[in-house]
Amino acid sequence: MEFFLQLVLNGLVVGSIYSLLALGFVIIYKSSGILNFAQGEFLLLGAYVFLAISSMHAPILAALLLTFAFSAILGIVLERVVLRPLIGEPIISVIMVTLGLSSVLRAIVQGIWGTDTRPLPTVFSLEPIQLGPLPIARGYLYSAVAVAVLLVILTAFFKYARPGIAMRATADSQQVALSMGISVRRIFALSWSIAAVVSAAGGVLLGTMRGGVDGSLAILGLKVLPVVIVGGLDSIGGAIVGGLLIGVLENLSGGYLDPVFGGGVKEVAPFVALVLILMIRPYGFFGKVRIERV
Amino acid sequence: MRSGEFHTSYRVDMAIFETARARWILTAFLVVLFVLPIFGSSYWLDVLNRAAIAVIAAMGLNILTGFTGQISLGNAAFMAIGAYTTAWLANRGLPFVIVIPVAGITAALAGMVFGVPSLRLKGLYLAMATLAAHFIVEFAVTHWDSVTGGVAGTSVPFPSLFGFTLASDRALAFLILPACILHLWFAKNLFRTRVGKAFVAIRDHDISAEVMGVEVFRFKLLSFGVSSFYVGVAGSLLAYQARIISPENFPLSLAIDQLGMIIVGGLGSVLGSILGAVFLTVLTELLRLATGALSGTFPALIQLFAPLKLGVFGLTIVLFLIFEPDGLAAGWRRVRNYFRLYPFAY
Amino acid sequence: MHSIRMALLLLCMAAAAHAQALAGGDIKVGGIFDLTGITSDVGKSFAQGVRDGVQWTNENGGINGKKIRLIDVDYGYKIPEAVAAYKRMVGDEHVIMINGWGTGDTEGLKAQVNQDKVPYLSASFSGHLTDPSKTPYNFFVAPSYSDQLRAWLRWVKDDWKDKSRNPKVAFFYGDNAYGKSPIEAGRRYSKEIGIDLVDEEIVPGAFQDATSQLLNMKQKGADYAYINVTTTGVSTILRDAKKLGLATKFGSNPYGFSEALPQVAKEAAEGVTGVMPHVPFGEKVAGMKRLVDFHQKNHPNDTHDALYVRGWTYVLVWTEALKRADKAKALTGEGVKAALETFKEFDVGGLTEPVTYTSTDHRPSTKTPIYQVKGGKLVKVAEYEMPRKPEWLGL
Repeated sequence: MEFFLQLVLNGLVVGSIYSLLALGFVIIYKSSGILNFAQGEFLLLGAYVFLAISSMHAPILAALLLTFAFSAILGIVLERVVLRPLIGEPIISVIMVTLGLSSVLRAIVQGIWGTDTRPLPTVFSLEPIQLGPLPIARGYLYSAVAVAVLLVILTAFFKYARPGIAMRATADSQQVALSMGISVRRIFALSWSIAAVVSAAGGVLLGTMRGGVDGSLAILGLKVLPVVIVGGLDSIGGAIVGGLLIGVLENLSGGYLDPVFGGGVKEVAPFVALVLILMIRPYGFFGKVRIERV
Repeated sequence: MRSGEFHTSYRVDMAIFETARARWILTAFLVVLFVLPIFGSSYWLDVLNRAAIAVIAAMGLNILTGFTGQISLGNAAFMAIGAYTTAWLANRGLPFVIVIPVAGITAALAGMVFGVPSLRLKGLYLAMATLAAHFIVEFAVTHWDSVTGGVAGTSVPFPSLFGFTLASDRALAFLILPACILHLWFAKNLFRTRVGKAFVAIRDHDISAEVMGVEVFRFKLLSFGVSSFYVGVAGSLLAYQARIISPENFPLSLAIDQLGMIIVGGLGSVLGSILGAVFLTVLTELLRLATGALSGTFPALIQLFAPLKLGVFGLTIVLFLIFEPDGLAAGWRRVRNYFRLYPFAY
Repeated sequence: MHSIRMALLLLCMAAAAHAQALAGGDIKVGGIFDLTGITSDVGKSFAQGVRDGVQWTNENGGINGKKIRLIDVDYGYKIPEAVAAYKRMVGDEHVIMINGWGTGDTEGLKAQVNQDKVPYLSASFSGHLTDPSKTPYNFFVAPSYSDQLRAWLRWVKDDWKDKSRNPKVAFFYGDNAYGKSPIEAGRRYSKEIGIDLVDEEIVPGAFQDATSQLLNMKQKGADYAYINVTTTGVSTILRDAKKLGLATKFGSNPYGFSEALPQVAKEAAEGVTGVMPHVPFGEKVAGMKRLVDFHQKNHPNDTHDALYVRGWTYVLVWTEALKRADKAKALTGEGVKAALETFKEFDVGGLTEPVTYTSTDHRPSTKTPIYQVKGGKLVKVAEYEMPRKPEWLGL
């Protein structure tokens, strides 16, 4: 029983990072209809920029804020330069351009910093906190709390703040939003920068939890896809639930099935879930069902 | 001096070569192409072989994505299926004339299985399903040790035919190049037939196609099948060419690279598949040569080759999509028409 | 289309011809390194060691006057890239021997190097490369991974104080040829000396989180665990173990254990043991002076570690073989192989154990030192010598 609980707990914590990543993806999709395959690279870049700034002995908080500022600007620049010219192009072009972008960003990180592990300053001690019978790493706890806070802020933003409502309006129909006086261009820029910042937050959290950053952070980008499909491409709540679900699924299948198959189940389980969801409920648990009209 | 194309019959309109001169140029080019392997150094033969294999794979993907509009990220998985089938059969001593088609058919069947989701899914969702297919196949290959050798991989003997072995890159070129030409020829003709036109109709507007009487699901499956056959053959030739295959030969980045090839080359065009595949393969080699040559002066450059390759690939795709969305094929056609119609504008 | 393709092909052939023209009368040695792949954390130091060793040799007389030209590439720990690089080096550049790296690609190429008669000194210490009847052209400079694991298991047996039961051991290894290399030897030897192998956990090549594997291991109650990945992976496992509050004592192989480990894993590395066939950088042995002087002269601001030392020892070994082959007027692949097989207790200045190869046994030595992390520093705690058992050859 303890084994099961520990796995679930670990899954929830890892899943919260997936939720962050998925949030970024969903925000961009919700407001501009673009599928950003480079989301994982925003996480990667955020982690490395944080590394670079904090290794110059800046205080942690300053490094964090500077990283967020960098990500915000990166989001705006990329949207303007790369995505704007592709409005109206078929979906395969949009998918490919973000894939190309992800390659470029990954190459930049690899070129500047190489692939080995760079240690990050210790933010959390490694001593676990005991929650009843289960030890939890401090870093995990803080990460879960941070994610929860972020989620509350974002949900409130989309529900009550004017830019948030404007983003939802743009997602529904760009033309109507334009005719109501909403600057769609600014909305696009805003959504990309929020997405980049959210992913960077995930990268920083993950890096501090692991004690260092290295090239393998890039593989997280792929995990976001099962999460958003399970949760629904345009649902923020779905991104959260999906992230947690996938995290728990991964850990449970790793814990119970890895010994049976000799490893590797943890990596493939989210994709099996992906296929199953696509067969049963293609729009995910919370996504809006798209009806095709001739 | 010609001043444009004026077709006077359906037959002439459907012809592959618009002028006799085009036919002669192609023949001359083919002659040179077949003479080249006799003189090439082993490194450039390797590049030539790999480029030709990439052309076949890109053509397969183009049939599915460019002509039928079904986005697929599962290419690497189908190549793996073709390659491992080849390894298994060749290690049992079968001649390549049997092994290669069987590998292609196996991949085609797998492709049709993974094409079933296309009944209900489109666009991104189909891409996701094929992505999942990639990981599932990768998992199967890595863990089915008895057949695939697992992570250590398996070695592939030289292709043989009743005792006659193709034991070098040079000899392999004489297998790979004709295979490539054959597949391109078939593809070009495919799109002059009813089947090919059904594919294109599905891409352009599948609901209308269904209304018009095209059995969309059946043709989608067929498209997956034909495309995967091509990719399976490419995988099979890759197995013979690489001599040692392991799951590392078929990472996800292979599928993405091939998508990049057809985007850069031009979706929905046979010429585009050729141009895209050759362009990106040669670009990689030029980068390798450049970093190798300059590494004498800047030793740190060797480390940069991997990120450079990744970055330049990505950048090429992004730039082409922004500035030349119809690919190299469209650019080539513009240049050719300009010269053909000079000094007239159109 | 035709003209563009023709032009491209002609351009490429011209480039190839030019590249070949650059070669002179030097001795060409190939180098296949991992500078950007999943083992680059240790691969880069090793490559630097090899490059520096070659440079030092060229500056100090070369091979009886001839200079060495190291043709090195980065293959990113991808077997297809290694195969392509090998084809280029042997087919086009005609290198006389190759200093390789990873287990997967070295084992994959073993038939080819045998056919082409190219001596292949790999950084991989896989036991599968030690039997000349199967792999006559493969060599390496350290006890095999299998002998190293056996040595560590002996340390476990000696460290285990509870006489009422056997110690329980788990193996953690990567899902590749390198990870799996010593496992079978480890299984058999555990049975032989009375250790209970209770668990085997597999991790993927690159991973973020080893918690579920560690939880599995905790269920089986392992007292000790041997980790067969590289430094980054070891660090992740150690940190995750600490977060779970596990009491298991960890040990690592020589590509996971070096001066870099305490830096990356920080307090989680305390008390971890490891196999160290090559001494840490700066250790007081006779051969270290050369390295330290070179380091002072050429890059005094870099830090170096045991992997760097390892690269140097490789160069010292194969340049000696080249010299012997050259003196015997047999500067060919076969000549170099024969020269290597004349090595009897060849002293490398204490940087590693003396090297012996014979035509029936390519195990250079079987003595393995065990080090431990104490206070963030590496301290030698034991040394074990495995007998040269014939049934262990090739395992």
